[in-house]
Amino acid sequence: MPIGLYLHIPFCRVRCTYCDFNTYAGLGRLHGPYADALAQEVRLLASRFPRPVGTLFLGGGTPTVLSIKLLRRVLAACFDTFAVEDDAEITSEANPGTVSLDYLRALRHLGVNRLSLGAQTFDRGELAMLGRVHDAEGVRLTVQRARAAGFDNLNLDLIYGLPGQTLTSWARTLEQAMALTPEHISLYCLTLEEGTPLRDRVLQGRLPAPDPDLAADMYELADDRLAREGYRQYEISNWSRPGYECAHNLVYWRNRPYLGAGAGAHSSIKGQRWWNVRPVQTYIDRVTAGGATPWPSPAAEDGEIIDRALEMGETMMLGLRLTREGVAEADFRRRFGLSLEEAYGDVIRELVNAGLLTWDQTRLRLTRRGRLLGNRVFARFLPC
Amino acid sequence: MNQSHIRNFCIIAHIDHGKSTLADRLLQITGTISERDMQEQVLDDMELEREKGVTIKASAVRMRYQARDRQTYELNLIDTPGHVDFTYEVSRALAACEGAVLVVDATQGIEAQTLANLYLALDHDLEIVPVVNKIDLPSARPEEVAQEIEDLIGIDAADVLPVSAKEGTGVDTLLEAIVTRVPPPQGDPDAPFRALIFDSHYDAYKGVVVYVRVVDGVLHDREPVRLMATERQVEPLELGFFHPQMTPSDRLETGQVGYIATGLKTIRDARVGDTVTLADAITVSALPGYQPVKPMVFAGLYPTEGEDYNLLKDALEKLQLNDASLIYEPETSQALGFGFRAGFLGLFHMEIIQERLEREYDLDILVTAPSVAYQVKTRDGQVITIDSPAQLPDESTIESIAEPWMRISVYTPTAYIGPVMEMTTKRRAEFDHMEYLDEQRVRLEYRMPLSEMIVDFYDQLKSATRGYASLDYQFDGYREGDLVKLDVLVNGQPVDALSIIVHRDQAYQRGQRLVSKLKKVIPRQLFTVPIQAAVGKRVISRANVKALRKDVLAKCYGGDVTRKRKLLERQKKGKKRMKMVGSVEIPQEAFMSVLKLDE
Ligand SMILES: Nc1nc2c(ncn2[C@@H]2O[C@H](COP(=O)(O)OP(=O)(O)O)[C@@H](O)[C@H]2O)c(=O)[nH]1
Ligand code: SF4
Ligand SMILES: [Mg+2]
Repeated sequence: MPIGLYLHIPFCRVRCTYCDFNTYAGLGRLHGPYADALAQEVRLLASRFPRPVGTLFLGGGTPTVLSIKLLRRVLAACFDTFAVEDDAEITSEANPGTVSLDYLRALRHLGVNRLSLGAQTFDRGELAMLGRVHDAEGVRLTVQRARAAGFDNLNLDLIYGLPGQTLTSWARTLEQAMALTPEHISLYCLTLEEGTPLRDRVLQGRLPAPDPDLAADMYELADDRLAREGYRQYEISNWSRPGYECAHNLVYWRNRPYLGAGAGAHSSIKGQRWWNVRPVQTYIDRVTAGGATPWPSPAAEDGEIIDRALEMGETMMLGLRLTREGVAEADFRRRFGLSLEEAYGDVIRELVNAGLLTWDQTRLRLTRRGRLLGNRVFARFLPC
Repeated sequence: MNQSHIRNFCIIAHIDHGKSTLADRLLQITGTISERDMQEQVLDDMELEREKGVTIKASAVRMRYQARDRQTYELNLIDTPGHVDFTYEVSRALAACEGAVLVVDATQGIEAQTLANLYLALDHDLEIVPVVNKIDLPSARPEEVAQEIEDLIGIDAADVLPVSAKEGTGVDTLLEAIVTRVPPPQGDPDAPFRALIFDSHYDAYKGVVVYVRVVDGVLHDREPVRLMATERQVEPLELGFFHPQMTPSDRLETGQVGYIATGLKTIRDARVGDTVTLADAITVSALPGYQPVKPMVFAGLYPTEGEDYNLLKDALEKLQLNDASLIYEPETSQALGFGFRAGFLGLFHMEIIQERLEREYDLDILVTAPSVAYQVKTRDGQVITIDSPAQLPDESTIESIAEPWMRISVYTPTAYIGPVMEMTTKRRAEFDHMEYLDEQRVRLEYRMPLSEMIVDFYDQLKSATRGYASLDYQFDGYREGDLVKLDVLVNGQPVDALSIIVHRDQAYQRGQRLVSKLKKVIPRQLFTVPIQAAVGKRVISRANVKALRKDVLAKCYGGDVTRKRKLLERQKKGKKRMKMVGSVEIPQEAFMSVLKLDE
């Protein structure tokens, strides 16, 4: 079975106020050495885990801050060493307003066939609060250019539950996003991550704390509105036109194997999960150090063994995020050799009674209410 | 030792005025303890005592001292607990002495416990040897403080000894004064043996070791003895005295202080205040003053993890070996499961027990809001004593309820009279009178229900007076009051561990505060949770904890799985520590919230 391959590009032009990803601004001088190290890690992973690749995802950070030349080097390493399937989904994240038509054409030419744009919001004040480098116009322009460059599979990321955001401003953002007719939309509720400037401002009382009940209203509003527009929800935070679900992300939610290369990237394959060191220079040093290369990757910082019980729990925690397919009885039984009833009968019944799950004996899925209370459900399936 | 060469004395002082430091110096100067073995506060041998700087258990040390008259004297220093919760233990220790060194801090002057202890000492007709301590400090005002003492007890200010316990200044003079001013013990050496138990501890090998003061007669090694109040008869394993370690000897003579290792397995069989006689002495009368332990404050102790119940039980058993004033019995709460109802001498005692359970026994425990013992008269003429709101019988069967009142003295700078008046009034205190100690300091006397003192009173008093006030209290008597039980219902179910007994006039306000506090600490659940406070059937306050709508991680991609799973695992562990009442998860802190109801 083909695996997913993730490539992490830990660079951004500037850092957004809410961001806690492994990304760095102002490290332009490391772009070249990093791309080389990344290519090298990819080659090593391919030799150690020679599996066909069904999906490829360039994430970050902002992959498109790398020049086409450098991206080509990285992708070439993938194509040369892994058997990337012909119809593989190849996504790149990109930031609106930072990519030219030529750049996008070249990117398309490299084989990238899906573009995920971080639009976040169309409200000027909200964009400023988030510290985004673009404006609403920049999003429109980038979508136009992407279409012109031949991308027929576009995603827009939006964020809701922002400090001071109202239902009205959220509805306006949604309308403007849908007007651009992306094939796919991700809606993320803002998490105020530890150590981010936005969180500090909220804690200091300089911005109003987001109200989780209002965020729930926003979620339901979006759910209704997107459905009317023909988008289908398939994951807690993801909607698409039929057939445009993100194949790469489905690998994660179905708890299937993937490899991740790059600073801070995670891999999960053959009952182990590991993650790479996060700082760019450390990553480069680790990968390019001579001598025997440690297993599974010279960049690996730490990892864990996923035993059967944990794998089962994670399969539930991830699979139940898939709102349409959920966890299928048949898949579960094939994978673990026992039925959902045998594994979790009591828990399932309790959660069904609480109105958080539906179970038609073939599939276990979150109810509409359960989608907003997923943690309460997932936790129950974890072995601890 | 010739009886005329024995001096039995104690040191009494307000906390931190230097009692332990002075004891150290006495031991050192008399050579009772070598320089090499000298560590600070030798007598405070429990870890907690050292940390809190408070003497919890009394000790007794024998010192040999060669006085200026070239004679050798046997000085027995009996250390007394320094907190009002232990007044009875203090009084028994005083009963073993003929003299008391009264230590007053030269920078602070007389404080609440200076007086409280002094009065106790005078009650026992002790010779007072007053000392002003800490004269090495620049802010010391020894003459003024000596004058305060003269005004108080009529001892000439010139006879008040200036001392620096820290530096040893004046300690020689003090030793001389002890020899010359404190009378030798009276007692009849030819009468049948009688001794007073003034303290005890449990020793794993020797069983209960009782600390005694021989009043009459002599006890020889191996003579069987009898403890009169508890009617236990034993053959002692060992006799001896403290030097300061236990030092065996073949006899204990009239007037001497020492120990008897009884071999008894529980401290309950050897009560402080009891009289030891020879086993075959039938006609001997008991020494006066014995009182059985009377706890004043009660609280539920529950393991936070139900499976630790047996560990808690063992720990309480062990603690009780060394602390006869701790009592407990099993209790079951619908909300908290299996635990114990424990009785304490006071709040401070309760705090010490709680800390020892947590520290020495490494237990996580939940302590419910403390309660006093109420006397309930029922319609059918019975009087029952209850120490937990849950034990209160049905309202319709109650004729009246009486609660313990205390006499309290607050010592405070005059600037804080207003705030003290205000906070005591709020707690139903009745003002009795005020007395000026000097121009800047007063003593305020009140009568106040004990129940009003056991929740946060001392802390509030301290903060209302910027730490300047000191407090002394003693039991006054039971009084009837218009008392009602305030129940808390969560999701329609009464939560027994949250009930409190309050005065009817305060029920409404307390109920409201309790409900709004609980609303804050009970996390939102999957359904709306009503919280109500009720007196009888009447709901006097209510609030809803709204149903939780959103609790879901927005993202979970390949790079998040481990981190997000751990987050969920932490959430799950947190929930396990909550107590289930019906289908509602109540965090531990909710049960403590009764303790701190912000004004
Ligand atoms: N400067 C000075 N400090 C003293 C003296 N006596 C005691 N202290 C300090 O006062 C504090 C309380 O003393 P302690 O003996 O524990 O008081 P207790 O609570 O009465 O036993 C400690 O920090 C001592 O070091 C003294 O004579 N001079
Ligand atoms: S563009 Fe994305 S990765 Fe870069 S700083 Fe902003 S949020 Fe973070
Ligand atoms: Mg002390």
